[in-house]
Parts: sequence; C-alpha cells; structure tokens
Amino acid sequence: MPVLKAPSGNPNGPAQYKQSSRKGKKAWRKNVDVTDVEKGLDELNDEIILHGEKIGEKASEDLFAIDVKGDSNITKKLPKALTKKLKADEIIAARSAVPAVSLRKRPGDKTTDGVLPVKRQRTQYVTQKELVRLRKVADGQHETTVTVTDATYDVWDAPDPQKEVTEKLPFLPKVDKAKVPNTLRQQPISLSANGKPVPAVPKPSGGYSYNPEFNDYRDRLEEVSNQVVEEEKKRLAELEAERLRQIAAAKSAAEAEAAEARKDLSEWEEESAWEGIESGGEELVAGAISKKKKERKTQAQRNKIKRRKEAERLAKHEAAMKKKRQQLEKISELAEEVYQKEKAMEVAKIEMSDDSEGDDEVLRRRQLGKFRLPEKDLEIVLPDELEESLRRLKPEGNLLKDRFRNMLVRGKLESRRKIPFKKQAKGKITEKWSYKDFVLD
Amino acid sequence: MPQIKKKGKAGAAKNYITRTQAVKKLQLSLPDFRKLCIWKGIYPREPRDKRKVTKSLKASTTFYYTKDIQYLLHEPLLAKFREQKVLEKKISKALGRGDVSDAARFESRANDPEKTGKPRYTLDHVVRERYPTFVDALRDLDDCLSMLFLFASLPSTSAVPAKMIARCERLCLEFQHYLIVSHSLRKSFLSIKGIYYQANIQGEDILWLVPYKFNQRIVGDIDFRIMGTFVEFYMTMLGFINYRLFTSVGLKYPPKFDQLKDEQGAELGAFALEGVNIATDSSATKAITNGESDRIDPGTQAAVDKIVKQLKENEITDEEPAKTEASEDAEEAEQDTDAIDKFEPVAAGGDILPQPSYSSSDPAKLFSNFTVFLSRETPRQPLEFILRAFGCKRIGWDAVLGEGAFTHDESDPSITHQIVDRPVIQAAMEVDGDGEDNQTAHKVGINGRYPGRIYVQPQWVWDSVNDEELKSPEMYAPGASLPPHLSPFVKSTQGAYDPTLPLEAQETEAEALDALIEDADKGSDEENGMDIASDEDDEDEEKDGFGGFSEGEEEQDDGEEEEGSEDEEASAVLQRQIELEAEISGKQVKSKQVDPKLKAKLEQRKQLEKKAREEAEDLERAKGMLSKKKRKLFEQMQYTNKKKSTEDLKLREKRRKLEKEKNKA
Repeated sequence: MPVLKAPSGNPNGPAQYKQSSRKGKKAWRKNVDVTDVEKGLDELNDEIILHGEKIGEKASEDLFAIDVKGDSNITKKLPKALTKKLKADEIIAARSAVPAVSLRKRPGDKTTDGVLPVKRQRTQYVTQKELVRLRKVADGQHETTVTVTDATYDVWDAPDPQKEVTEKLPFLPKVDKAKVPNTLRQQPISLSANGKPVPAVPKPSGGYSYNPEFNDYRDRLEEVSNQVVEEEKKRLAELEAERLRQIAAAKSAAEAEAAEARKDLSEWEEESAWEGIESGGEELVAGAISKKKKERKTQAQRNKIKRRKEAERLAKHEAAMKKKRQQLEKISELAEEVYQKEKAMEVAKIEMSDDSEGDDEVLRRRQLGKFRLPEKDLEIVLPDELEESLRRLKPEGNLLKDRFRNMLVRGKLESRRKIPFKKQAKGKITEKWSYKDFVLD
Repeated sequence: MPQIKKKGKAGAAKNYITRTQAVKKLQLSLPDFRKLCIWKGIYPREPRDKRKVTKSLKASTTFYYTKDIQYLLHEPLLAKFREQKVLEKKISKALGRGDVSDAARFESRANDPEKTGKPRYTLDHVVRERYPTFVDALRDLDDCLSMLFLFASLPSTSAVPAKMIARCERLCLEFQHYLIVSHSLRKSFLSIKGIYYQANIQGEDILWLVPYKFNQRIVGDIDFRIMGTFVEFYMTMLGFINYRLFTSVGLKYPPKFDQLKDEQGAELGAFALEGVNIATDSSATKAITNGESDRIDPGTQAAVDKIVKQLKENEITDEEPAKTEASEDAEEAEQDTDAIDKFEPVAAGGDILPQPSYSSSDPAKLFSNFTVFLSRETPRQPLEFILRAFGCKRIGWDAVLGEGAFTHDESDPSITHQIVDRPVIQAAMEVDGDGEDNQTAHKVGINGRYPGRIYVQPQWVWDSVNDEELKSPEMYAPGASLPPHLSPFVKSTQGAYDPTLPLEAQETEAEALDALIEDADKGSDEENGMDIASDEDDEDEEKDGFGGFSEGEEEQDDGEEEEGSEDEEASAVLQRQIELEAEISGKQVKSKQVDPKLKAKLEQRKQLEKKAREEAEDLERAKGMLSKKKRKLFEQMQYTNKKKSTEDLKLREKRRKLEKEKNKA
C-alpha cells in the first residue's frame, strides 16, 4: 500500500541550523543532524503500517512463496487500463495494517488514593438558553427595560418635586432646569403632497363601509381601480422603456463591432499598400489633402454666395412671419386655452386648500430616510365579495402596516425597513488545491 | 468694516445636526437614540438647503434640530441608556473571557431592583413633559388607542411578548369601562378595515380604530422594535389617562381585576369598579358590568342606587361653584358637559353653526330598557361595549362567547331583543311569512325563534347609535336586505345632498316652489289635455331661467315630450318663440289659463327670483371692491360651489321623481 508523500521539497519542518564545527564541549550536543535517524524511523513506521510488522522480523514464508506453476487466472484478468482505479479511490481505500485502537471505554485503575470524590455543586451553572440570551444582551438586543405599572397618581396634578424642595429647604441653591426649546414644540414634517398634517386616524368615508351605499362604493371602486390601472400602465411603460434600451444597446454594440471589423479590414488594406499593392482609395485620400489648399474666390463667386445667403434669410423671415400670422388668427383660441388652464389651476388650488387634512395616499416626492415609504394596501372589498352580512365580511387591509405607515407619513420618524439579515462580506468559493501537494509513491 | 462671517458658524449649519452627529454627541447606539427620540417626541427635520448644513451629504441624510439634541443631553433617561451600555460591555467582556457565570450575575443584578436598589426606569416624567395638560394628552389619544387596541389583538410572538399584549388589553378594557360609565361614546362605524369608534371626552372628539377579532396578519416589513417603543410609551400614557378619567367620575383606579374570570373570556366583565367616595360603605362595588345585580340581590341594588344618588348630588354641588369661578379645572369641565351652550349666529341670516351633538337625546338611555341576547355568530366584544355604553344593563350571550353574561340561557323570558346574523332557513320563512311575524309567532323551533322578542341584525345597533334614535327593527330583521351602513364621520356640507334626510329638510325654497308649480301644471294639463308640449316647454324655460338644468338634458326632455301632431308642434315652436322674445325684453310670459293658487305660487316664485337677482347684483357690487387677486379667488369659489350645487340639485330632482312615482303607486 502506498504512503502519501509530498511531490517535491522537504516535507519536514524547517531544517535545523547546520553546525559543522563541534569545537568545545557545549557544541557537541547542539544542532545535531538527526535526519537519517528520523528517516530510518519513518521507513520503519511505513513498513509497520503497510505490513503489520517490521519486514526484517517477518518469517520468510510470509514474505516469499515459491511459484511452481503459473497463475492460470492471469489470462482471464482484464487489461490494466480497464481495471485501473482512480487515484483518489485508492487513497481513500487504503487501510493501515495495524489494527485501530478500540474506542470502547476501558475500565480504570482498580486502585484509588482512598479519597472519595466529592460531587461538584454546579451552583454557577448557566443554561444554554440563558447563554444565548446573554449573548443577545451583550449585543444590545435586550428586552424592554421600561417598567409599566398601574398609575397610582395623577401626573397632571402631581406637585413639582423641585418646588417642594425649595419650600422645605429654602437655603439650598436653586437648580436651573433645562429650558425646553421652542423647536421641540414644532409639528413633525407631514409627508402628504399638500404638506398638511395627516390625522392619526383618518375619518373613513362611506366607501369604507362593510355594507356601503351604492354611490359611495362606486366612487371608491372607481378611484381604486383608476389607481391600479395607473400603476399597471406605469409598470408596462417601464418594461417597454427597458426593452427599447436593450434594443438600442444591442444595436450600438453591433455597430461598434462592425466599425471594429471595418477598421481591421482597412488595416489590412494599408498593409497591402505597404507591400506595394496600390488601391484606388489611396488616390482619393491624396486628392482630399490637396483640396485643402483653398483657392481664391472670384468676385462672381462671392456675389453668388451673397445672393444665396440673402435668399435664405428672406425665406426664413417669411416662414416666421407666416407662423406669426397663423398664431394671430388663433389668438382668441390661445387666450381661451390659457385662461382655462389658469382657471383649472386655481380651482385645484382652492380645492386643495379646501380640505383641512393631509392625504396619506398622495405623498410628496422627497421623503425622510433611505427607503421609500411602503405602499398602502388596497383597502377595498371587490364587488363579487361584497356581502351584506357582518358575519361573512372579509376584512381588508392590514392594520399593523397601516399604523406603521401612518407614523411614517406623519413624519414621526424616518422610513425604515426590517432588515432580516445583517449584510455580510461577499465571499468567493474556490476549490482547494492542496491535494496537489501530495503524490503516491 | 463689519466683521467677516465665517462659514458654518451660523444659520442652517448651526441649527441643524445630522443623525450621525447627534448619535455621537449623545454617546448612544443608534437603536437607543431612535427610542429616545420616539419617547421624547423629537422628529426628523428638513433644512431649507441641505448643502449648507453638512459637506458630506447623501440624499438619505436625516437632520434634527441642534437645540432638540442639546436638550436631550439633560434627559435623565440618557443616563439609564448609558448604564445599560456599560452593562452590555461588562457582559460581553465576561463572555469573551468565558466567565459565563459572571456574565449571568451582572445581568441578573442589574435587572433586579431589589438587590441593587436602583429602579428600572419609567416614562412617567416624559408623559408629563410631552403633554403639559390633560387636554393635550387627550388630543393625542387617537393614535394611542388605535395602537393599543391593535396590539391587544395580536398573537404573541418573540417580537411582541405576551406580557405586553396582556397589558394593552387590560388598559383598553379599563378605558372602555370609563366610556361605559361616562356614556361618552358617540359614534361607531363598521368598516372593512375594522370598527371605528368616536368618543367625546371633555369636549375632545377622539376617534380610534379597533381591528376585527383574529384578523391580524404579521407582515414582514414592519419594524416591531419601533412599534414596541411607541407601545411602551402609549401604555404609560393611557395608564395615566385612565387614572385621571376614573378619578374624575369618582371611581377607584385601578379597578379590581379578576384573573379567573379573564381567563374564562369575560373581558369587560373581569373588572369590578369601585367608588372612592368616603361617604358610601366601602365594600359596595359598583357592578356596572354585570346587570345581574338588578335581578339577583335587592340589597346591592339599593347600595348602587345610593351611590348613583350621591354621585348626582356631588355633581350638583360641584356645578354650583363652577358657575361662580372660572372653570379652570378640567374635571369640572367634564361634569359640565351636560349643559353645552348652543351656538347661534350673531346676525340674522348668518351661517348655520354646527351644534354640539347630544344636547337633546341622552346616550345613556338609548338601550337602557332592553335586555339583549347575542347569538353565537355575532361579534360579542364590540356589541357588548356599544350596548353598555348606550345604557343597556342586561346583555346575555351564548356560552360559547365567554363568561360575564347576564344570562347564557337563550330562552330567558326577560330578553327583549336578540341580535342574530344567521341566514334564515327557507322553510321557516314560508311559515313565518314576511319575517315580520317573528314577534308574534307563538312557537319556538322555526329558526329557533322565541315569541315576544325582537330579532335584529347587528347593524341595527350601529345605525341606532349613529342616528341617536332607535331604528325600526323591521328594516334590520334577519333575512331582510339591510339599508346601507353610512359613515357617520362624513360631514355633510350646507346644501349638499344627503340621502339620509327627507327631501323637505334639504331642498331650497325655490326648488320646493318649482316642484309645486310643476305639480299644479301637471294637474291643469290633465284638465285641458291639449297643450302638454307647450306647458312642458314653459316649465323648462323657467327652470332654465333659474339656473337648473343643463341644455342637453332639456333638449332630450323636449324630444321625449314632443310627440303630438304636426300643428301642435308648430304651435309649440311658436310659443317658445314668444317666450324667448319675452325673456329678452325682460317681461314675464303670460300663461294662458292659471288658477289663482298657481298664480300665487308663481308670484312667490317671481319674488324669490327677484330677490336672488338683487342679491347677485349686491355681490357683483361688493366684488368690485375686492382686489384683483381676491376677486379671482372668489369667482373660483363661486364656480366650484355652483358645480357642486348643480350636482346636488340633480340628485334631489331624481329623488323627487322617485318619491312621486312611489306615491302614485
């Protein structure tokens, strides 16, 4: 059986310092080279692993056999190429001839020191569960530390402890209390589009009823469906834009490739020119260069250019005038249009200023924090699910989400998202090559 | 030369601070900082120019007022947070060394106030600081209640410990008890999201939303740490509010809580309210939740009566000094709510001012004479709460719905109303007839009905409460198609169409007159029968003059109406021509034959028109005085108002037509 050995180099640790001189008594025992002894021992060890004992100690019968007649099976054997095992399999299948030490518990010594062992009291024992919790606490994820007890006094009627102290002990110096800044009393930034504060619990319209009036429900359904259609349109438009972008990218890539190919071709052509094969292109290029030298214009030419420019200018002017005339004809129409626009804008303004509450669906563009606000759930019961009975009502929307979103919309805190996993450093997985460090001999 | 100003020493750079800077300044971890900000009510701000505040800027940078953060430095909670941080460091150090037992010891000692003498912190002072007066706290109660009622109905998870849920539930039930005792619940609305309630406490309208039972899904994108922080604060706050409210109605806080009953699902019934009045015998508990006392023990009943009497006396004695001195005390204001002033316009013809509700009918008496039984399939908690809050003393329910009922026996003869939400079995319907007979049916068993009581669907309770009167139970009988459940929170504007009001209550004078004239015309048409088309035209013309219908519709009407012979048509055209001319010249058209009644009406109508025209002229004149900007604004307002009012007009017209048809049939 083969024993693994490194393919090259010294498999041993770094060699000892070679000391050629053995002068002096101290130096005799220092840095003695024992590699040949170790080698011998290793060989011996290998022999034991392979054969079970030292070869020298084995009986001759075990080592040798006299072959009187040839092996009859040898012709039946398959060629070596077919029976050859994988090296890896061979390595894995290899077993030492020395039997393994049994793992069974062996009885200890029968003799003792006469002192009976005391059973250890594990008062300080911490359970695994507790340990996990402690680790969490150490990581800052402790449970709430606020104690909420039953109120036993009226906070709004409670006497000021500071005042009491000053009344009882008037000689003590007054402690200045920190003044509450005005900024603390300012309302948080509402995220609604019109900037008005959003109520904590918006008043529900009739459309939210479990058994709504027809008109209310229709209005709400229309509103919601318009919203959804709008969103879907937006999504489709985005998809389309993405597709167009990809097509354009592919096209430009193809163009670039073609240009590259052309360049390659022309290089080759140039090369051929070097070799003395003149192509027609060369002449053209030479002609272009020679044309750059401008000739003096004659007066006739100058006049001609002047006339052309004048004509161009006139044409342009006339086009502009024509456009103006057309607009003049439509002036009343345009004025009407502008007026209507202004009117619509003002109506919108008034309507906006009309309702005193902020809307929590139409939000302003700039928001607080890193993440966008979560979208509101569609809170509507579809027409086919609309039931008159309270028992069969399927509640819609998620109040938890609603509450959380409401906090964010009212600007009480910056928007957050639950991050279920900590972001970890990206690792790259590769195969280890250490098996190449070993060869079989 | 003035002193040169250095950059970053004044203005936005000085007034604002980024979150990272703030965290560094306070020496806290980010989660702790967030917590502190939530408790103390410090919100992110937005500088006008972000670039002026800091050089390193991302779109997501959050800013705070520097003054706010500076003020946070004085917060006693900050020291607690730092202590916690020290503890964390100690524990992690010990764990790192492998001294697990040491770590456990540190932790247990820090969290054991008896051993260390150091109490864990409470948020009492924060409540006082954020809400200097009780009314401030009431104004912020919407959010608090919605949150706590929501958390009370959540299933317990690692993020939401069971302890917190139990606490929320208890606080909410206590608050409901106050509403029941003080009868301050006003409205309620069954929406698809949950049940809205509105109460009026000391003049403040409080609206909150309670989820339906067993409905809460916990979705991924909610930060429970943040929600938990809010809930911690709100629990403290509601505790104090409850204390104040309970003491204001002469009750002891906290009320006695029966753990055993609570485990059996008694909910509201698990609490026993006690009065704090010294004069009454201290052992008498005011058994508000259990109407059983009415029936079972006359002795307790007497005691209860005594308490009520005394309370009333107290109220009277309290009110007397309130008249003399300015009512600064909120408690007195609370008791004074019975007599609310009526708002009356100063000048005649002024705007109609919104009146405080419940000045006439008493919410405490709405259901007071009833004994209600809730069937198995009805939502018990909201029904029990609402019925009790509106005066119902005896509520029984099926044993499945939990403990604390007046009776679990459906056959109890004292039951006057039963709330059912079960589909009616068809066979039974045939026997019962219209379902109206269920009050008079004399046998039990068909649909399980008992004689002598009224069966209604749950919506009856809600609609009765919202309309402040008992709705007729026939409309809400089991199996009947229910009327729509309208939102009581939609404020109807002046002159807008309101489907709940009768037509007479909302139509304008001119409209009513128009309708009468039309009726009279119809009558006369039937008499002479010949010139239907002409008269019809006449009407249309008049309506048009008053600014009623759009042109297109009219033409359609004309098209429908004109089916007479050719010469009739020709006469109609002629008539129309005459009218048009008359209108241009400003004269009134002379109708051919009119009876004196109609004439009087027409006269009245003319006067109204004249008045309207005069008013319009006045307005026009007044408009001339306004600045250009204001005038434009005014015109726009008029435009939108007109648009709305024409819509309402159409709706009313439609309804009138329907009603007329109904009357005929």
